[in-house]
Amino acid sequence: MRFIAVMAAREMRASWRRLIFFFVCIAVGVGAIVALRSVIQSVRGALARETRALIASDVLVSSNSPFAQPVRDVIAAEQAAGRVAEVSEATEIATMVRPAARATTATKMVELRAVQPSFPYYGTLTLREGTYSHALLAGRGTLVRPELLAQLNLKVGDALLIGKETFQIRGVIANEPGRSLGAFSLGPRVLIDHADVPATGLLGFGSRANFQLLLKGPPATIRDLGANLQTAFANQFVRSRGYWQNQDRIGENLSRAENYLSLVGLVILILGGIGVSSVTRVFVEQKIRSIAILKCVGGTSSRVLAVYLAQVVLLGLAGSVLGVMLAAVVVAAVPSFVGAAADMLQVDYGLSASAAWQGMAVGLLVSVLFSVVPLLEVRKVKPSLLLRNDATRTGGIDWVKWGVAAGVGAALVGVAAWQAGSLRVGLLLSGGFVATAVVLHVCGLALVWAIQPLRYARSFALRQAVLHMVRPGNQTRVILLAVGLGAFFILGVRALQANLLRDFAVQAGPNAPDMFLVDIQPGQRDQVAAVADQANGDRPAPQPIPVLRARVVAVKGANVALENYEQVRGRSGLSREFTVTYRENREANEQVIAGQWWQPGSKGVEVSIEEGLLQRWPIGVGDEMTFDVLGRQITARVASIRRVEWEDFRAGGFMFVFKPGAFDGAPHTYIAPLRGPADTEARARLQASLVSQFPNVSVIDLREILQTIQGIVNNVTLAVTVVGSLVLFSGALILVGAVSMTKFRRVYESAILKTLGANRRLITTMLLLEYGVLGAVAGTVGALGSIALSWAVARFALELPWQATPYLTLAGIVGTAVFVAAVGVTASLDVLRHKPLATLRAE
Amino acid sequence: MIELRGVSKTVDSGGHPLTILHPLDYSIASGEFVAIVGPSGSGKSTLLGLLAGLDAPTSGSITIDGVDITRLGEDALAALRGLKIGFVFQFFHLVPSLTAIENVQVPMEIAGRRGAVARAKELIEEVGLTDRAHHYPSQLSGGEQQRVAIARALANDPAIVLADEPTGNLDSTTGRHIMEMLLAVRRIRRSTMVLVTHDADLAALADSRLVLRDGRRVETPVGAR
Repeated sequence: MRFIAVMAAREMRASWRRLIFFFVCIAVGVGAIVALRSVIQSVRGALARETRALIASDVLVSSNSPFAQPVRDVIAAEQAAGRVAEVSEATEIATMVRPAARATTATKMVELRAVQPSFPYYGTLTLREGTYSHALLAGRGTLVRPELLAQLNLKVGDALLIGKETFQIRGVIANEPGRSLGAFSLGPRVLIDHADVPATGLLGFGSRANFQLLLKGPPATIRDLGANLQTAFANQFVRSRGYWQNQDRIGENLSRAENYLSLVGLVILILGGIGVSSVTRVFVEQKIRSIAILKCVGGTSSRVLAVYLAQVVLLGLAGSVLGVMLAAVVVAAVPSFVGAAADMLQVDYGLSASAAWQGMAVGLLVSVLFSVVPLLEVRKVKPSLLLRNDATRTGGIDWVKWGVAAGVGAALVGVAAWQAGSLRVGLLLSGGFVATAVVLHVCGLALVWAIQPLRYARSFALRQAVLHMVRPGNQTRVILLAVGLGAFFILGVRALQANLLRDFAVQAGPNAPDMFLVDIQPGQRDQVAAVADQANGDRPAPQPIPVLRARVVAVKGANVALENYEQVRGRSGLSREFTVTYRENREANEQVIAGQWWQPGSKGVEVSIEEGLLQRWPIGVGDEMTFDVLGRQITARVASIRRVEWEDFRAGGFMFVFKPGAFDGAPHTYIAPLRGPADTEARARLQASLVSQFPNVSVIDLREILQTIQGIVNNVTLAVTVVGSLVLFSGALILVGAVSMTKFRRVYESAILKTLGANRRLITTMLLLEYGVLGAVAGTVGALGSIALSWAVARFALELPWQATPYLTLAGIVGTAVFVAAVGVTASLDVLRHKPLATLRAE
Repeated sequence: MIELRGVSKTVDSGGHPLTILHPLDYSIASGEFVAIVGPSGSGKSTLLGLLAGLDAPTSGSITIDGVDITRLGEDALAALRGLKIGFVFQFFHLVPSLTAIENVQVPMEIAGRRGAVARAKELIEEVGLTDRAHHYPSQLSGGEQQRVAIARALANDPAIVLADEPTGNLDSTTGRHIMEMLLAVRRIRRSTMVLVTHDADLAALADSRLVLRDGRRVETPVGAR
């Protein structure tokens, strides 16, 4: 044992320099895993501490319509039973606000929240200046987010028009409990007193308000309360949610996110592992003589093997520790990147001990697993090679090696499954990796084979470069895999981004509507259309579409039977509130694929459903569906199934279209899709004039939403590009390592060439061409992969039309070639510097 | 006591068998100094390698102190080499990543002996390299490297010292020094020594000579006195 430790330590003095690059790869992978896990665990810790603050109460009861008496009775009964200590009401409404000063034309969609004095039960509302008290809201006061002030050019003390009423801005919200994290929001938060809501006139029919009851109860019976409310509201359009359900849901999502994200680190680590495997092979080759000597002076195969394995373990450990240190630096830097989002949740970012241990363990495992098979070659070294050079190789299948390789494979699947937290994902990842590696490998080989005619090229340098790619001990495969994979990631994501953004651009094409006027009351219909028509110049006048909100409460069909809302709710997606319309005719973007469109004058209530619904529920033509529309139950026969071209949504896309007559007498509102003016100024003027004349009408500007989506796409792209860059960086490390491992061969070769009259320029050209060609092959492999990836994702996951991105592909190939050539030549500068005589003498 | 019974070695050379060593019977007494002589390619080094168990003979048996080493496995052979045999090569074969003294320590450490460092120091002193003890092989001259190799061969006080043309890669003055050192070692330690050489003067100093030609033993060397 002592011998192994001492010997490994001595050998390390010389070998660490050559192996360092590969263990930096391990460090990068371990760093990624530890940093990702630590950050998510920090966020999770903060969320667990603040789950009550997230809903500002113990149980939140919410509904899209005002609470009916039966609901209030249930709460009152619970209160009488002592399970509810306090109740507070709140209302959330999406609406437009604008400065009260007439001179300005700016308007902004906001998420209004009206609260009572006891809000919040948990968590604290913090202001930029001063402390929050409900008194600030009393008597037409409002608190707003800083971004609203910036967008409307307002300051504290100014007047803000909300609905029909003027409010005074009395403070700026820094952090609000209950603001859901990362959720898509329509606009910044504005807080007012619950008592002032009626004055705004925003609660008229058709407004998109969310009514809430915040309950606080004695902790002992809080879960009973949750269960009771769940049962009581099972068949009503009322949701009740306890803080612990949030905790469970968020916790589950976060652990899934943590596990998936750490797979990214694992991919980098496995890439590093492949580098480790390749370098170990070359390393053992170079150490053959030392191994033979050790065996000659009495070392057994297993002990010599142990000496080299100990070195791998030591370096793997060093790499892992370095990785943890990298992660610590990254995690420490996180708060400065999070910026504004940090306002929402107070997170103490720090390295998590469990993440650090996991990272170390995975780093060490990968180092050992990937080096063990090449290290087995140690067994085959015969000490007799010290006497004769023709060490006879023992033929036949090395069962031990294959057995160990199989064990290593299984262990790697195990590591992947452990990191992903799921055997299935672990298997998928391993399978995907093997498949990618095989494809890259085969493509690489094919390309190397394809350029073989260049061996007969006129240029000496080019001939040599091509020959070098297939010489014995070449690192072509490893470099192709590492660099190719990096290029594949980056190019694939870029291509996808280009396709996504192009698709949005198409949707916002010249004739498509880019503004939606919603919540138009029947009495305002013609006036709103007239105002909008006047503002948008010679474009066609907007056609208001009647809309109602409905829920499916029962389905009676051949293949599906849901008797009440409780059962529908069990089918998650179907239970949501749908926006429905009615009309006589089919629109241009619709196509009937089953049943028949209604004939004028036909009898009975009929509905046409979109085919998307059929993917999850086997509803067929002739089935009966019952809808709840504002408390009225309407049963309709499914007359037809439509396919909607969602890309062309001029007339809007509706899941349910009814035959006219079904809702006679029922109150409904209108929406009007509209192609707004191109000029930003004119758009603002249109919005302002609409909002000032019709305070209840909201304008949804698609351009703003598109910008938001573009922002999100860009952020996601950036994130994946960072990952791709890490992979490419690992690829560069492997490249540098591979070059320095085989440097001794090049130094010798170039010494001979120099002796034969080659000057440095020729040798530099040879190196440039060799790595340039290798880089071009790797880039081509990556680019081909990226085309396949972006096509598959666009076609199957996003269902978008796919278009090639030739410039990106070309730039990717050239870029990779230049990158590899630069790294390769820089890493071989030594080769150029060596004086030939010294080299030849040493050999 | 080393006994060779019908020892031969045949290798595969480009598809057809090539006999490097034809069946040979020979015995070496304890403390004897044997010189194996013969021209290049006569099978001298192969025979020496077989004696050290570095390679297995195609046929025959080699018995060292009553143990048939051809029946031993790789690991048992390694242990035997570590404890009973010291080997000196023509090309020194020091571990390049270890210093001189560390190279000497290795056999003792493998055998798990105590006091390896102290003994290595003594041996390094014995071969006159105290001030070069912490140099790496690449920083030593050929003669110095061979002295380290001798110190290493003696590390575990082996009963048998095998030397494969130990002076073959050195200039004549240095070669003579090395040879004197080996002879002194043998005199002082009374160890059995088998030396491969084609230096007739050197061979003349041996107790007995084994002359090989084309893998066969010949009674009188060509051009012998």
